Amino acid sequence: MQSTRKWVVGGVFLLAAALFVKDLLPPSYPDGWDLGKLASIPVQEGGRIKPLDTIARTSLMMIAGRQSYQDAEGGSHDAVEWFTELVLNPREASRREVFRIDHPDLVGLIGFQNEKRKYFSLAEIAPHLESLREQFAEVPEESRLRTSYQKALAKLQNSLTLYDRTAYILVPPPVFGNAEQTYAMVERVLRDAASADPEAEDARNARNALQLFTGQFEQLAGSSSVQAIPPRPGEDDMAWQSLGQGLLDALESGTLDPVLTSWADASTAFRNGDAPSFNAAMDSLHGLYSERSGERAAKTGFEYFFNTFSPFYYSMELYVIIFIIAAFSWMGWSRTLAKTAFWLLLIAFAVHTFGMGARIYIQARPPVTNLYSSAIFVSWAAIPLCLYLERRYFNGIASAAAALMGFATLIIAHHLSFSGDTLEMMRAVLDSNFWLATHVPTVTLGYSATFLAGLIAFIYIIRATLFGGVDKKMEQVISGMVYGAVCFALLFSFVGTVLGGIWADQSWGRFWGWDPKENGALMIVLWNALILHARWARVASTMGIMQLAIVGNIITAWSWFGTNMLGVGLHSYGFMDSAFFWLLAFIISQLAIIALGYVKRPLP
Amino acid sequence: MISAAYAFFSSIRLTLFLLAASVILIFFGTLDQVQFGIYFTQQKYFEHAFVIWDYPLQWIGGESLQWLHFPMPGGYLIGPLLILNLACAHFRYFRPSWKKIGIPFIHGGIVLLLVGQLWTQLQQKEYFLWLPEGGQSNFVESFHYDELVLVDITDPSARRIVSWDSRALRKEGTSLSHESLPFTVEVLWYARNAALFPRPPESGNQFPQLPVDRGIGAGQDMVALKQPPTYADGERNATSAIVRLRDSEGPLGTWLVSNLFRQSMPMRDPFPRQVFEHDGRSYEIALRFKRKYLPAEIELLDFKHDRYPGTDIPYNFSSDVRIHEKGSSQSRDTLIYMNHPLRYAGLTFYQASFAENDTMSMFQVVRNPARWIPYIATAVTTVGLLLQFLVSLYFHAGRRRTTS
Repeated sequence: MQSTRKWVVGGVFLLAAALFVKDLLPPSYPDGWDLGKLASIPVQEGGRIKPLDTIARTSLMMIAGRQSYQDAEGGSHDAVEWFTELVLNPREASRREVFRIDHPDLVGLIGFQNEKRKYFSLAEIAPHLESLREQFAEVPEESRLRTSYQKALAKLQNSLTLYDRTAYILVPPPVFGNAEQTYAMVERVLRDAASADPEAEDARNARNALQLFTGQFEQLAGSSSVQAIPPRPGEDDMAWQSLGQGLLDALESGTLDPVLTSWADASTAFRNGDAPSFNAAMDSLHGLYSERSGERAAKTGFEYFFNTFSPFYYSMELYVIIFIIAAFSWMGWSRTLAKTAFWLLLIAFAVHTFGMGARIYIQARPPVTNLYSSAIFVSWAAIPLCLYLERRYFNGIASAAAALMGFATLIIAHHLSFSGDTLEMMRAVLDSNFWLATHVPTVTLGYSATFLAGLIAFIYIIRATLFGGVDKKMEQVISGMVYGAVCFALLFSFVGTVLGGIWADQSWGRFWGWDPKENGALMIVLWNALILHARWARVASTMGIMQLAIVGNIITAWSWFGTNMLGVGLHSYGFMDSAFFWLLAFIISQLAIIALGYVKRPLP
Repeated sequence: MISAAYAFFSSIRLTLFLLAASVILIFFGTLDQVQFGIYFTQQKYFEHAFVIWDYPLQWIGGESLQWLHFPMPGGYLIGPLLILNLACAHFRYFRPSWKKIGIPFIHGGIVLLLVGQLWTQLQQKEYFLWLPEGGQSNFVESFHYDELVLVDITDPSARRIVSWDSRALRKEGTSLSHESLPFTVEVLWYARNAALFPRPPESGNQFPQLPVDRGIGAGQDMVALKQPPTYADGERNATSAIVRLRDSEGPLGTWLVSNLFRQSMPMRDPFPRQVFEHDGRSYEIALRFKRKYLPAEIELLDFKHDRYPGTDIPYNFSSDVRIHEKGSSQSRDTLIYMNHPLRYAGLTFYQASFAENDTMSMFQVVRNPARWIPYIATAVTTVGLLLQFLVSLYFHAGRRRTTS
């Protein structure tokens, strides 16, 4: 018996270690191709310098809803593989099935009936672009007026635009032949225009050709959001250029930037399947970029590592294991399994912390800057509290709550990342590290503690009514845990709300403005105060307090996400359509739990 | 009887009810902002004793659920009751002890916060100031209120202004007078919000003729229609009126006045001022955004709008401003930018908007004499919370020590 226990615990830790190694190893690229080098090259996008890897991942995430794609044989490929092909050999890439289309009517529109696939290639969509455009035109501007079909249309339109914008950031579209041919033509025309007699036929032709090129490159410059050409030596650190701008510059100055020609070489080598030449081009590009990209690109290498390691993904895997172990601990081997869960939680917390620290380092901002990072922070902040509670009782409850919360919030974060790069630049109003470092984390800590109280209450009600009941001692312990969490929640949500008021007064001259997000935080404060008063006055039973704590979940979810869905106020960053459904589902589930507490009296 | 009331007002159940009612009030007060804007909603929910929430027409099933109303206590009922409840409960239950050292701080701070909020709601005024680069102004204008003014402009260097808040015009038929004016003002027509436009050709008798014989309304043959007031954020009611001036000898004429005619916001086609002569003196008549004059001229030297490289994401807005104090040859320069407002003459100026290709800057200007109260109140409460937290932790730990 004793030894079986040891084997089980050892197996669990071995599993955790195996998962860690699997996640830590860099993704496997096709043999001989140094795609990792390409992935770590820095470019500027959204005001920030980031590795191409991030561009690849966020683009594929927005188009396909995941960071990898499957080929026709079912083999899985990393985002960087797709991206490299897209930018260096777009014709071939158009056969990759990356566009996710869920709506059956839309699948029908591109000519498939009863199709099981969810992913389609550009080559399959392109023949229907004409009829798609007609349909796109009829999608209403305001997203709440759209039908589900129109939403699918809008999403596909966004994906197609993004695909187009991403494809031509390193080499120009094949309007005048491939990149090498285009650049050869540009150079010849530039030579002709410079040398010949201005009245000669050649010169006139050259001028016409220049005009043609200018028009084409202006269009390219206008549609690009990625600046992939680093500043030339002696230029300002900020002076990154898009491909289109770089080509326009070349027409003016008469010489092509070596960065451009090196990318063209890479493209040729890639198309020809010539791995050694491709790797050589990557080496020369790396030289050029490291010479020219300066201080702002110092963190790209680390960001590339952060992307491939994806610490939050690993934490998520651990949270699942922890929850299962903790739940098993309620059936037998209680202390051993609870201790295993505790140690795993400690590891998960360390990795989670690393991930958050990495984001702080890359962005040079406090931990919470948008909804995505608040999701990561909410569970992170609750875990130390859970570790403390768990260490006192070793009953698996706090570990289970922490694991549930960690998993749920990381899933939420994952879904929030569909909208693009999560390390975005701060809008001017929010550009204050001091307040971002005080008000925002404190309020978010208030969310954490309120959720924690609600989660423990959730576990209590489920166990008390459905799984074997709770004895007096356990009831007392759980009740004490909820009480502690609510006290914490009240303190932090109050202080956080007040700090928000002070920020508002310092910046806008008014302490309180009834802004939706402020109101949400105030509701949390009031509700926690209500729970504490109800407990002190002994007007509610233990079950009653638990039910009140679950209402706290609803209020916090409203405050966290619901207020952003209103689309009004200072804090309305990011309106989310589909999230409304999930918020509603969450609220209903919580009401069901509360009802469960009424319907089924606690088992004796 | 008295003891029953005392028991009721000091009961913890009342506290619980009031806390729950506040949560509900705030929830619906947030929801309604989508429809009615923040200003109106704030008044409806937090500055009334009772509120009725109506099911919005735009929601799912709005047509059939219109009958759905939900009455609830408003801010002006909950706030005072909370204070009363706290005070009564304090006297009835509270016995000083180390274990409860934080409680009076917490509750005292809350009471101060509530009182401060009430004072703020009564005292806080919001204005705005639009300035083009190189332009200056010695007044700010109200976001919500209007005034009817008669300005004696005979001597441009010493103008004399008589002003009435536009709410004094609400009752049509009212007559207004002031000792310094040789005539009275009769209100013939008033609209909180109106649509004004030149009479469309070929509209026949569709719109009635206005009884206006002087100024813009007469010169351009205007049509004025009453409109329901708007509460949307960023929208302003076009408050308008038709007034007749009369001296001891009879009527001088009838004017159409509207805050639409007198905007200092960026505007392409400003109307001419409505000026007239009487008894050898020149006057201007106008209905305009209510002004607050400053003891200085504020000049905008330069406005900057910085973006992150390669994007349109704003990174900073800043206005370089010079303050020319009255009666002083000295002026001082200051930079107003994000999170760094200018505090001057009891007002706070913060960067709020911009226009005309980044050559015009708008400041929101707030006057709030009670602004220091929340600082004290929340400091007191926070100290109380921390004390209570630490004390209970200490006692808790003590109990654990004795049990083990």
